Amino acid sequence: MSLISNRPGAPASSAQDLLSRAAVVAVDLVKIYGEGEAAVRALDGVSLVVPKGTFTAIMGPSGSGKSTLLQCLAALDDLTSGKVFIGGAEISSLEEKDRTRLRRDKVGFIFQAFNLIPTLDAMENITLPMNLARTSPDKKWLDYLIQTVGLKDRLHHLPGELSGGQQQRVAAARALASRPEIVFADEPTGNLDSRRGQELLQFLRRTVDEFNQTIVMVTHDPFAASHADRVIFLADGRVVEEMVDPKADQILDLIKTLES
Amino acid sequence: MWKLTIKNLKARKLRLAMTALAVVLGVGFVAGTFVLTDTMNSAFDNLFSDVNDGLDVIVRAESEFESQLGGSRQPIPESLIETVRQVDGVQAAAGNIQGYAQFVTKDGEAVTTGGAPTLGGAWYDEPKGSLVIRDGKAPVGPDQVMVDAATADAHDFKVGDRITVITQVAPRTFEVSGIAGFGEVDSLGGATLATFDLPTSQEVFNKPGVVDSIDVAAESGVSVDELRTRIRRVLPDGVEAADAQAVAAEIADTIKEALGFFNIALLVFAGISLFVGAFLIFNTFSITVAQRTREFALLRALGASGRQVTGAVFLEAIVIGIIASAVGIAAGFGIALVLQVLLGAFGIDLPSDGLVFLPRTGIVAAALGIVVTLVSAIAPARRAAKISPMAAMRETAPKPPRFSPRRTIAGLVVTLIGVGVLFGGLFGDFGEPAQLVGAGAFITFMGVAVLTPLFAGPLANLVGLPMQVMRMPGKLARRNAARNPKRTAATAAALMIGLALVALVTIMGSSIKASTNKVLDESLEADFTVATGGFAPSFISPQVAVDIAALPEVSVVAPLRLGQFRREDKNSFFVVGTNPATLDEVTDLDVVEGSLRSLGDNELLLYRQTADDLGIGLGDTFGMQFASTGTEKLKVVGLFENKSLVQTDYVISLSTYEANFPEKVDFQVFVKVKDGVSTAVARKSIEAVMESYPSLNLENQAETKEKQADQVNQLLSLVTAMLGLALVIALFGITNTLALSVFERTRELGLLRAVGMSRRQTRRMVRWEAVIISIIGAVLGLGIGVFFGWALVKSLESEGISELTIPYLQLLGYVGAAGLAGVVAALFPARRAAKLNVLEAISTE
Ligand SMILES: Nc1ncnc2c1ncn2[C@@H]1O[C@H](COP(=O)(O)OP(=O)(O)OP(=O)(O)O)[C@@H](O)[C@H]1O
Ligand SMILES: [Mg+2]
Repeated sequence: MSLISNRPGAPASSAQDLLSRAAVVAVDLVKIYGEGEAAVRALDGVSLVVPKGTFTAIMGPSGSGKSTLLQCLAALDDLTSGKVFIGGAEISSLEEKDRTRLRRDKVGFIFQAFNLIPTLDAMENITLPMNLARTSPDKKWLDYLIQTVGLKDRLHHLPGELSGGQQQRVAAARALASRPEIVFADEPTGNLDSRRGQELLQFLRRTVDEFNQTIVMVTHDPFAASHADRVIFLADGRVVEEMVDPKADQILDLIKTLES
Repeated sequence: MWKLTIKNLKARKLRLAMTALAVVLGVGFVAGTFVLTDTMNSAFDNLFSDVNDGLDVIVRAESEFESQLGGSRQPIPESLIETVRQVDGVQAAAGNIQGYAQFVTKDGEAVTTGGAPTLGGAWYDEPKGSLVIRDGKAPVGPDQVMVDAATADAHDFKVGDRITVITQVAPRTFEVSGIAGFGEVDSLGGATLATFDLPTSQEVFNKPGVVDSIDVAAESGVSVDELRTRIRRVLPDGVEAADAQAVAAEIADTIKEALGFFNIALLVFAGISLFVGAFLIFNTFSITVAQRTREFALLRALGASGRQVTGAVFLEAIVIGIIASAVGIAAGFGIALVLQVLLGAFGIDLPSDGLVFLPRTGIVAAALGIVVTLVSAIAPARRAAKISPMAAMRETAPKPPRFSPRRTIAGLVVTLIGVGVLFGGLFGDFGEPAQLVGAGAFITFMGVAVLTPLFAGPLANLVGLPMQVMRMPGKLARRNAARNPKRTAATAAALMIGLALVALVTIMGSSIKASTNKVLDESLEADFTVATGGFAPSFISPQVAVDIAALPEVSVVAPLRLGQFRREDKNSFFVVGTNPATLDEVTDLDVVEGSLRSLGDNELLLYRQTADDLGIGLGDTFGMQFASTGTEKLKVVGLFENKSLVQTDYVISLSTYEANFPEKVDFQVFVKVKDGVSTAVARKSIEAVMESYPSLNLENQAETKEKQADQVNQLLSLVTAMLGLALVIALFGITNTLALSVFERTRELGLLRAVGMSRRQTRRMVRWEAVIISIIGAVLGLGIGVFFGWALVKSLESEGISELTIPYLQLLGYVGAAGLAGVVAALFPARRAAKLNVLEAISTE
């Protein structure tokens, strides 16, 4: 099975072509925590391509390296070896200054919890990255986002005054507000009940379908993963399986086989 | 719980260090002050306990009390020396005279000291005193002088050199016959000493045929008391035979008493620092306990009682208090040295031979440190115990500050009490005014500190408004400063206190300057004033006034002399002796009843307010006790209202002065030029007369103003420098609060960095928060300072400070400086915030 998805479009013909058509390309990523006896190979040679306009889910048992992979792809962490390209540019060798700029301009991030700055209201949180970059947000896009996440009447509330689901939707809106190359989400629905989780996933899905947004999401939940175009399975820091157009029950079955 | 306490202390190194440092600074300053004053006192003790070594008895005139101005005793006849020598058991006896003698350097400049006296005395070979010749020979004859080793060293005087010495008679040149020291010591507490033989001393100190004292050594085997009894038998009435060692102790005491004010001032500064430090300690405890809410809640959930939690916090406070106090006491030595250097920079040279550490220093400083730490821990500890386990486990979002009626009322009541006590001290007529004012100011600060959290939030938003220009970092800084009003308030309060005091002294200083200028403009009609430069007491030979008066260009000369007397209520005051007729021509004392001109022998001109207070009026008699002549009844013949020029409440005629004081020196001379003579021409002639007195300056009004302004400024800078430590502690408080806040907001900072905040922007955010807090402190402090300054100046109106001037521009400058200081205070926390590892920060619980 190829690592490169054929959806949408045909397989890439050349390396350069591939780089430019993919949102993210990762080549042979290795991440080792600690040294000597205590060293942990959190990533052990992961390669993958995320084409533009796709929704990718990453699954795997606890400790398999999902969060590590996401953080390395998002330039939040250093690699031990390997290369990451975002929008055709290599990011794994960037200085901290340029990484900051990259995170601000090209990447959106949704964490499992504590996504918002408590002193800023919902609207300010959403426009935070653009404010930091001193660029003005695309007004129409912003209106659409707010409309879609259903926060119109909550915009001037502080995070402390919002429910967990509302907070995550604000976080999602923030991640998408600057129309980044790619959005990474680490268990964004982990703290939400199934209905709120469902709403958030549907929202993410819509941005992919309607606006060609690229999203990579880590999840434990097969139902959540079923909203993606494909699922990549990690175990012990390696990609062990991949599934295109997954259904929740298929994922469950695969997990069972992988575990046995 | 003990185990837990130790574990906690270990686990939170940064926070611990921050809290401890707060205690160290406060305790250190108190200990340092004690060490410095003790060092000073002991140095004086040592110096003056040696001064009469080799002597056993001192024969001198009796005195009613010791005048701080010295020379309070009448001289005794020279013939007594021989009488005393004849007493059985006297090994040696010699006459001694003391007076004013000032060296002139080879460049023609008068040698000045940092306030220590410039003394002259008589040399004798026997008995052997503490003064020993190090080089050359003893002075013999009218042409020789011996110089103290310190002066000789500093000004390169060598045996055989010809140097000029100014005395109250006239400047004169002498040959240096020798150089002398006090045992190992080169000088007595910075004083200079010129010694002559006895006849020359009598001449230059204008005491023909008399001596001030007779210094006696006993034959071996004769006790001091026995010798005193024997000598007493041959002495006339009014002359005593004193124990030489007791006299030495007396001298040391007089000097220490004069320095007592200085000790108190230092302790006041130490108190201020500790007070400011207390805010810092308190704030730090509050923050760290708040940060550990979850930890405590977990303990509570696991079954720890509220009391156990309180106990743990308390125990921690004790451990920190003890350790930090110990370090603080050690730091006190360093601070004492720094203070010494600081004071030296302002010309206050304190004698010292090794720092002195008394047990009292350790006990008081440690007790203060531990008590303040414990008191600071009470409130947070109780809060920690009250937390419901569930509330603590929940994510704590910043709550919008609520209006608290209880706090408002408490704060207002405390503030009003403080202001009331302050006003009682300033304007009331009971208790100890200085202590009331101090207590009032203290209580007012407390009250305002209680109130500050109520408006710290809005204030932060207001101050931070312009920082919105800084975009996101500015905006976040503003919100951060406003999010925890109590913390911001407590941090700003420390700075508030320091700046209020700085503003207060600034206003005092500028008001004093404006007032003296006004007085000079309005009530001094003299063209020139003769005075000595610097702080040292003025000694002007009366000959100067006589010579100037003889000049054809001069119309009026009015000399002033200064003396000390005791009222019948035993309080000492200064009195001015003057020529009433000439003083009346050059000044306007605003005499409201009677007249200055008619002031005659045994008559007194009294300050109106004092006369009212004493309940006496024109024609009444007033008892004045003089050290050398006892009590005299003076008749009040005039009341005056402007005392700024004479600076005392009591004015007597020159003849009354001379009848009661042995000194014959002026401290100031007013000169008026004849009509039609240009002041420039007159100045030339006067300066020609004064040429041989390099210690004297001729000043016109503008120069007098400038000199007084300089003196006020110098005092101001000294006070400000002393308050500087309180300011440093306050700034450190900002650093501390921010560092702890950064720690607390680790997660949030990580998130900001993750969504694209640059390191620079992070630093900027922390920095602007510090600036906002500083400016809040500055604004509050200046508000209170201006109020205090207004009240203080108003209360001193009767003391001649009639003009209230508030230098707004300078005060505004302080706000700017506070903002800048905030930037400095933020350096460390900002760096910490910017350096946070994004990933680790995000994954922090
Ligand atoms: N900072 C770190 N230092 C050392 N080891 C780490 C660190 N972070 C992660 N690891 C280790 O790396 C491995 C992968 O961790 P990672 O957080 O990526 O797993 P995960 O797949 O996200 O797990 P989960 O589903 O529990 O979130 C684990 O074995 C983990 O213990
Ligand atoms: Mg994870």
